[in-house]
Amino acid sequence: MKARILVVDDDEALAEMIGIVLRNDGFEPVFCADGGQALEIFRSSKPDLVLLDLMLPGVDGIEVCRQIRGESDVPIVMLTAKSDTSDVVRGLESGADDYVPKPFKPAELVARVRARLRPGDQKAPETLRIADITIDVAGHLVSRGSERISLTPLEFDLLVALARKPWQVFTRELLLEQVWGYRHAADTRLVNVHVQRLRSKIERDPEAPEVVLTVRGVGYKAGS
Amino acid sequence: MVSAIKQVPEPSKGRSGETDAQSPPVERVAPSSTKPTPSLETDRPPVPEHGPEHTDALANVPALSFRARLWGRRAQIVILRVLRLVRTGLSRALPGIRFLLRSLRRRWRRSLQLRTVLTTLLLSISSFAVVGAYLSNQIANNLFQERLTQAESETLYNVKQVQETFDGAQVTNQSSVITLVYDTLNAVEGRGNVIQRRYVFEAKPEQTKPRNRWVESRASDQLTINVIPPELRRAVQESGKEQFWASMEFPVGTEDRPGIAVGNLVTFNGTAYELYLIYDLNSAQMTLDEIQNVLWAGGAVLVLMIGAIAWYVTRNVVSPVSHAALVSEKLAAGQLQERMVVKGEDEVARLGASFNHMAASLQEQITQLATLSQMQQRFVSDVSHELRTPLTTVRMAAEVLYDARHDFDPINKRSAELLYNQVERFQSLLADLLEISRFDAGVARLDAEPTDILSLVTHVLDGVAPVAAEYGSEIVVICREKGIVVEMDARRIDRILRNLILNALEHGEGKPIHVSVAANESAVAIAVRDHGIGMTPTEAARVFDRFWRADPARARTTGGSGLGLSIAAEDTKLHDGWLQAWGNKGAGSNFRLTLPLRQGEAIVKSPLQLEPADVGLSVRSGDRSTLVVNSGAPASNTPALEAAGQGVPEESGREEDTRDH
Repeated sequence: MKARILVVDDDEALAEMIGIVLRNDGFEPVFCADGGQALEIFRSSKPDLVLLDLMLPGVDGIEVCRQIRGESDVPIVMLTAKSDTSDVVRGLESGADDYVPKPFKPAELVARVRARLRPGDQKAPETLRIADITIDVAGHLVSRGSERISLTPLEFDLLVALARKPWQVFTRELLLEQVWGYRHAADTRLVNVHVQRLRSKIERDPEAPEVVLTVRGVGYKAGS
Repeated sequence: MVSAIKQVPEPSKGRSGETDAQSPPVERVAPSSTKPTPSLETDRPPVPEHGPEHTDALANVPALSFRARLWGRRAQIVILRVLRLVRTGLSRALPGIRFLLRSLRRRWRRSLQLRTVLTTLLLSISSFAVVGAYLSNQIANNLFQERLTQAESETLYNVKQVQETFDGAQVTNQSSVITLVYDTLNAVEGRGNVIQRRYVFEAKPEQTKPRNRWVESRASDQLTINVIPPELRRAVQESGKEQFWASMEFPVGTEDRPGIAVGNLVTFNGTAYELYLIYDLNSAQMTLDEIQNVLWAGGAVLVLMIGAIAWYVTRNVVSPVSHAALVSEKLAAGQLQERMVVKGEDEVARLGASFNHMAASLQEQITQLATLSQMQQRFVSDVSHELRTPLTTVRMAAEVLYDARHDFDPINKRSAELLYNQVERFQSLLADLLEISRFDAGVARLDAEPTDILSLVTHVLDGVAPVAAEYGSEIVVICREKGIVVEMDARRIDRILRNLILNALEHGEGKPIHVSVAANESAVAIAVRDHGIGMTPTEAARVFDRFWRADPARARTTGGSGLGLSIAAEDTKLHDGWLQAWGNKGAGSNFRLTLPLRQGEAIVKSPLQLEPADVGLSVRSGDRSTLVVNSGAPASNTPALEAAGQGVPEESGREEDTRDH
């Protein structure tokens, strides 16, 4: 079955071009040119992934991202023309899993899309623990005692990657490769922002993390 | 001794018997007291007592010397204790005193008002002192002269009277002679309760003529001949009939009073006597004291008033100035709305008005500049967005065409290739341009966190490996450390290193490239050394200039934007690091990046040498042309040229460096 991708972009030429590229690579694109209608179209089309331009007329991309994230865990990849730190971080913090800075190459875009669609197919039944957190990998469940914690697929992948090798310190680059599927260097802010988001969900006190620990100058590791 | 009798100024004749009875002791005492006088100057009362004590002391010399030693020791101990006390007191008080002095000196340096007031006070005090001294001297002189003239004429008259009385006296028996002499002398003292003048009557010593033995000496009150200055006595003794005077002091009760002694010789019955009349200057002295007191008080009041006036006047002048200073300080601190208060139309008001005018135009300019900068920032951001969206479409389209180029005929195929390559180049140029304008707008912000620079180097080398393979250059990393954690913006450092290495590859002519990494306690350095064509000093001086190329005629092989090294310099500056270039024609070049290990700390010394060690061996030192181009930082022992001015490392992010490989 073709994966359905919702492209939210007000630039018709670009949207059309993205459509061509996506169709070429075997995806089924759905378009939306207005931020105000994005949520409606999202609900009606039920896409497997959302490509979202940050600068939109009407409701802006960050707000759209927040709305979608409010009712779904579907992967969101932002398209940004402004790669100012604040914009990127704001976009990531509003719930986007990844971003592609303009101007991008078709292959880059497709690689990002594929990387985000990848997870979810092959998962062996497995139970992992970090600190007082229990992870049911196959069931995509995370809990502290009897309390369920809801994570997006990306956050889940990040946590699982750390939990599988609790003895290893993961550099940001390694996490980018394992969780996001980047072959080459990418923006390590992705990792920072997502670790922060993950911590805000699973840590008792995000200021004093116990589950995801920072190793100064190197990266992150699982807590014991 | 004598005073008991002489207290009564006018003894009647009936009392003479009593005085008679008392006179012999006077006579007896007199020689013993007069004899030592010439040598003892004015030492009056203790003379009789000196003798006995002296003999006593001579008798007990050992005991006395022992006691003296004892006292000496005691005195020594006391002096030592006092000294120690003073020293500890000083050491306690010294910091305080020093602080006081320092603060006073600071006030003196910093406060024009204090300086003016103090100077005025000092000057007025010294001028008052001069004037006061002159005035009181004049007054004292006048008073004295007046009194002296009076004393001299009075003496002349009185002495004449005495001499006449003496001349007309019949010398029959002792008591009558004594009575006569005493009455005459008492008459000299004056009438009424107030003693107008005192006298000292003394037989002239060493007379050859036969002497009147009945009258030896006599004086008012407790006076003795010792009060008379020896010089005066000598003058009187040696002269014939002339009159001499001298100022002196004499005791009255317990106090010493100033006076004038006027001396003459009188003869009585063939015997020469010295007669000194002593005039009390106490009233004159008191008048003088009074005048001096008035002068002191007046001077003090005047000085205080002058001080107050000086303070007031300088305050009037200085306070607008210090107000202006305060306001300009505030202006300099960025409170551009600050203005001076303008009152009246005088010079100060003019100063205030022109100051305010200046501040207003400054504020206007700065606001305008700020708006301009904001506009530029907005413009950059807008251009960035507006250009990128269509460029993305073009780029994607070009790539789709490029991927399908095998289906095209040769012309279309080549066109697709050209389109694709040039879109890539255009995109890279645009990214660099936007990055530079970000720096120019001052919105570039450092996003530093501790990162291992060695893994970053490895990463960069992985990235450029295909390009290196293309040029056929081998890249050698020289490093002793296992890992160096540096607080840095990894993306920027990544970009700098990639630029340096690509630059080295481009100019390395396929020869090996050495990348050295070293650290010391404050800094880490990475040097990228190529052994290619190198550069001349003039070329090295411009290597960080925008769009600059060593040889404009040279082919643009890598298609770089010409902004790579400029951006690297800006990125380095943002880290407070140094980016320096060394070049030597034919011996290659060396680019050294030095970064502080922790942000906010200064680099003391770069861990690596800028001029490569191998150069001295291959090139004769005379031919060696060393040139260092500095970016951002000072330093380096070799002559340095600034390639980039001091910018404002500030705000906001960066462009994704999309010239990836």
